[in-house]
Amino acid sequence: MSSQEIGQMAHLLRRAGFGATRDELEEYVEKGYEAVVEELLHPGDPQNLPDDIIRRYHTEQSELRLADGAAAYWMYRMITTKCPLEDKLALFWHGLFATAYVKLNQARVLLNQIDMFRRDGLGNLSTLMVEMSKDPAMIIWLDNNDNHKDAPNENFGRELLELFSLGIGNYTEQDVKECARAFTGWTLGNAEYMASRASRDSIWPYSRIAWHFEYRDYDHDDGEKTFLGETGNFSGDDIIEIIVRQEATARFICTRLFQFFAADEVDEAGEQLINSMVQSYWDSNHEIRSVLRTLFNSEYFKSDQARFARVKGPVELVVGAVRLAGSYRTPTQGIEQVARQAVYMGQGLLQPPSVEGWHEGIEWVDSGALVERVNFVAHEMSNVNNPGVRRIIERLATENGGVLSPEKLVDQCLDLLGPVMVSDSTRKSLVNFAARQGDLNLTDHQTGDDAEQRVATMLGLATSTREFQLA
Amino acid sequence: MSTHAATKTFTLEYVKTIGLTTNQNGRGFVNPYDVAFSKDGRIFVLNHCDSARRNLMRVGICSYDEEYLGEFGKGGGPADDQFSSPVAMAFDSRDRIYITDELHHRVTIFDSAGNFINKWDASGSGDGEFNGPAGIAIDGQDNVYIVDQHNSRVQKFDSNGSYVTQWGEAGSGPSQFNLPWGIAVDDSGQVYVADWRNDRIQKFTSDGKHLASFGESGEGDGQFYRPSGVAVDSDGYIYVADWGNERVQVLGPDGSFQQMLRGEATLSKWAHDYLNVNLEEKETRAISNLTPDLPPQYNTPHHISSQTEPYFWGPVSVRLDGEGKLYVTESNRHRLQIYQRA
Amino acid sequence: MVASQKSPNLVVIQLIGANDPLNTIIPYGNPLYYDFRPNVHMKPEEVLPIDDDFGFTPHAGAIKSLWDQGKVALINGIGYTNPNRSHFRSMDVWHTAQPDKIATEGWLGRAMRELDPNAENVLTGVNFGRGLPRSLSCRGVPVASVGNLETYGLFPDLKDEQEKHYALEAFAQMYGGAEAHDAVIDFLGQTGRDALKGADILRTAPAKYTSSVEYAPNGIAQSLKNAAQVMFADLGTRIYYTSYGSFDTHGGELAQHASLWDDVSGAVSDFYADLEEHGREDDTLIYIWTEFGRRIRDNGSGTDHGAGGTAFIIGNKVKGGMYGEYPSLKEEDQLDGDLKANNDFRQTYTTILERWLGLDAGPIVNGRFEPHDFLDK
Repeated sequence: MSSQEIGQMAHLLRRAGFGATRDELEEYVEKGYEAVVEELLHPGDPQNLPDDIIRRYHTEQSELRLADGAAAYWMYRMITTKCPLEDKLALFWHGLFATAYVKLNQARVLLNQIDMFRRDGLGNLSTLMVEMSKDPAMIIWLDNNDNHKDAPNENFGRELLELFSLGIGNYTEQDVKECARAFTGWTLGNAEYMASRASRDSIWPYSRIAWHFEYRDYDHDDGEKTFLGETGNFSGDDIIEIIVRQEATARFICTRLFQFFAADEVDEAGEQLINSMVQSYWDSNHEIRSVLRTLFNSEYFKSDQARFARVKGPVELVVGAVRLAGSYRTPTQGIEQVARQAVYMGQGLLQPPSVEGWHEGIEWVDSGALVERVNFVAHEMSNVNNPGVRRIIERLATENGGVLSPEKLVDQCLDLLGPVMVSDSTRKSLVNFAARQGDLNLTDHQTGDDAEQRVATMLGLATSTREFQLA
Repeated sequence: MSTHAATKTFTLEYVKTIGLTTNQNGRGFVNPYDVAFSKDGRIFVLNHCDSARRNLMRVGICSYDEEYLGEFGKGGGPADDQFSSPVAMAFDSRDRIYITDELHHRVTIFDSAGNFINKWDASGSGDGEFNGPAGIAIDGQDNVYIVDQHNSRVQKFDSNGSYVTQWGEAGSGPSQFNLPWGIAVDDSGQVYVADWRNDRIQKFTSDGKHLASFGESGEGDGQFYRPSGVAVDSDGYIYVADWGNERVQVLGPDGSFQQMLRGEATLSKWAHDYLNVNLEEKETRAISNLTPDLPPQYNTPHHISSQTEPYFWGPVSVRLDGEGKLYVTESNRHRLQIYQRA
Repeated sequence: MVASQKSPNLVVIQLIGANDPLNTIIPYGNPLYYDFRPNVHMKPEEVLPIDDDFGFTPHAGAIKSLWDQGKVALINGIGYTNPNRSHFRSMDVWHTAQPDKIATEGWLGRAMRELDPNAENVLTGVNFGRGLPRSLSCRGVPVASVGNLETYGLFPDLKDEQEKHYALEAFAQMYGGAEAHDAVIDFLGQTGRDALKGADILRTAPAKYTSSVEYAPNGIAQSLKNAAQVMFADLGTRIYYTSYGSFDTHGGELAQHASLWDDVSGAVSDFYADLEEHGREDDTLIYIWTEFGRRIRDNGSGTDHGAGGTAFIIGNKVKGGMYGEYPSLKEEDQLDGDLKANNDFRQTYTTILERWLGLDAGPIVNGRFEPHDFLDK
């Protein structure tokens, strides 16, 4: 198995998932790149950590009353899933159709929305967008419960066109009005009571009551509408059908997918790949799975230039580190702290700052966030009791006769952590650090002894590099 | 359920609800896991919470008429009178309350005023040692039965806290357990264990001889999904908190299905107090349907209960008070639903 | 000690969870208070009287002493029209000075951008606590969030000082080299160097600090002690932020509220004494706020989410007194059972920004608002 194959598989799993350990990468490479892409695109049962176990040992994640418990639950799912693309893509849709706890005060319905992204995120875009439009969290978030036949509220209609599909410049103000009319009557059950509780953050008398979609025929404007040049007695479903047929929608969705999965910046070669993705969108009748297949199998994606071309988002960074460290695989006190770490770095799951989602790329990182990023990853990777760290130590001890020069220690750690590609100067700094204590002898290592601690400290430092901040 | 009830002599009827969500100390409950009753009829409620809100962990005390009487064991922590993940409680004949903690691997004993008396806190897998003590029951002779969940066994102690015996091992056969949770002992000293992840109730003699197993995995009558609590009345009827199915089932002494309850909570006194000062909620609640028809993606019992306020949600424990009333403790709805035999 | 003439500092304390104004500044002379609060009230003989109508809770005795010295302005009836009674949403309204739509830039973040337009000092604003309150959030404005000043910085897990020294040295080298061909890598390098610099500077603060004040071991007192340490180290910090709670007293209010105010009042008074000991009382302003008030009528054990609240401004330059009108408790004057706000919180922001920090408030608070007179023009 070549290092090129390992490197390429690591790249795929960083993008289509949350990274992978060396053992996992070797298994994946055995299957072959395109087979792994297909496996990722066809998720089966994802649960390594079953729901009943989580709910027994984390009562808040059974109730899901608060955002921190719900974020912790999603963290468990991302940390333990067997189908990482399913959750990675849910995170993408969460950033695009960004809905936040702040206005809802309902954590469970947000997780129900995330479940919908898991269920429909790889399928037909119109199915996904209809479900998104019926999603009760989205309805309260963008005021569609106030969108009445006699008094339309345009908030959802506008964001649907501006932020969720066509993009500004591809529709008129009149289209917004007509679009809003088509979604009148799309509300949630007991809308008045639920809206009142949401606006008061009420958990009384007996905690939250979850929400479901309700169609109120008497409040739906069934009149004729003209939308993007087409005329009819359109419903919300009809509007979505028209939207997904637009060139602007195809380009918008494919570009956003490119930026999330391939590279923060779109260059000329990237434009070519987006064109291919758009073609797959038409060829497959608007299927996201086909678009992603084109992306992951493209020469662009597999080339060196696509490697480390994205700044890891906080959730990606945190989940990736925990998966690498092998921690939090069973119910663990403090899982909500893991979710909170991402908040400290600027990304609270279920708490995007606005309907525009997060500003990604280098905007993820400022000096405060960098301190949090480095400290969290170093904390996970320098704990010799974490199973992933133990595994790396075992591999170092067996594969090198147990004695490693400073150069060998650094190179092996960087390799087993990714491989992480670092600059010569970064490598030199790490080697200098290691050289202070000379060769490392792991031949008779015991858990937590000085030799193991040296490895752990090196792992912590190697994941503190600027290169590790990139995916 | 009413069709079954109509053809049987056994019927449970709903009486009332006690409880209210709170996010502070004082009146109300926070993810309650169990109840116990002192000799003078006070109701002790174990507020389990979880690690993110451990400052709210405590035992709260109230009366049947919903007067909030006080609390102890507050704050979450390592001290003798604090908890980390408290699971279950039981009173002995001397009105002392025993409380298990599955993370401290500890059983703590308090008097009925909430003063710390003693603790059993040897962790491990030897005789008298614990790994995740969960359910607890005390018989008429003050023998104490404790479900030692991660050791897949039941341990029996005498009234002095001396180890007597144990039984069980990991597995799914008779006398084997998979993460067992609740436990009960009947008037003749027979022991019933909620074998949580084997989806059954196992019945034993007081020294651990296997007598019977009731139930199997499923959502039908007499089937269970992750049963967490069990209680037995003086006639031998067996009450099961069918946690994963969000319901309570009653079995006859022979294990035959008698009745299924899905829950029918009404407003407690504290709930009325709340709504009477929050009128816009009271008014919009009045025009709401709290037992709605739901779209298909929400058709599991857990989802249905999340959307249907009167139904049980997280029914962790079933316990009988001195008069034979059944208390169902719902961790996700922070309340007790009370039933009695017709 | 001679008072210095340094740049004015602002210390902001957020009372998280909505403090009950009626049991803080208590209208004990008003029989309606006792009518609406049959269970959750302070008795007249417990109150620390301001006059025959109002008084402080006895658990804010230390702040009452500052009031008696004329150093406390109470902004009663503070809030905004169409109040939102959800904690997070209403906090965001206050954080972003934007009640009408969801906004992302914090008012203090914008103020910091004006105070330090080129982001030359990474410590212009410091939050004492983890995470970044949205008040301080503004694109391109660096803010340090300090959970614990003693251990702040990179690699807090490394206990061996020498090991840590070498790790930090390696970090400095790894983030030092410009790679020239890659803008992202260069940006990360600059950010890493800024982080090191900020941590290096902050770490010096506790060592330089001496004081006779002994702060209590609770969270708010320790945060204010850290604020004092940073302030007296003269690192150029202008905005200090911290929060405490939860004041969300739906149940068991009397006991919770008492303990919370014992902590806050004690901490503020210790901090003020520290300011005086270091001659910084003239250039420091303390502002205490909460996201909304609570229901006028109690619920038997506590109080539920309400509207108009009370904010505190404390400092030697403050003109002490009652500002804003204390809202009427009469049924006909209530807003859906709540105290009706009569002054917009952005009036208070405007006063602080213009008369204390010397900034143009309009662009920061999204409009022009009449300032109060608790500070001189």
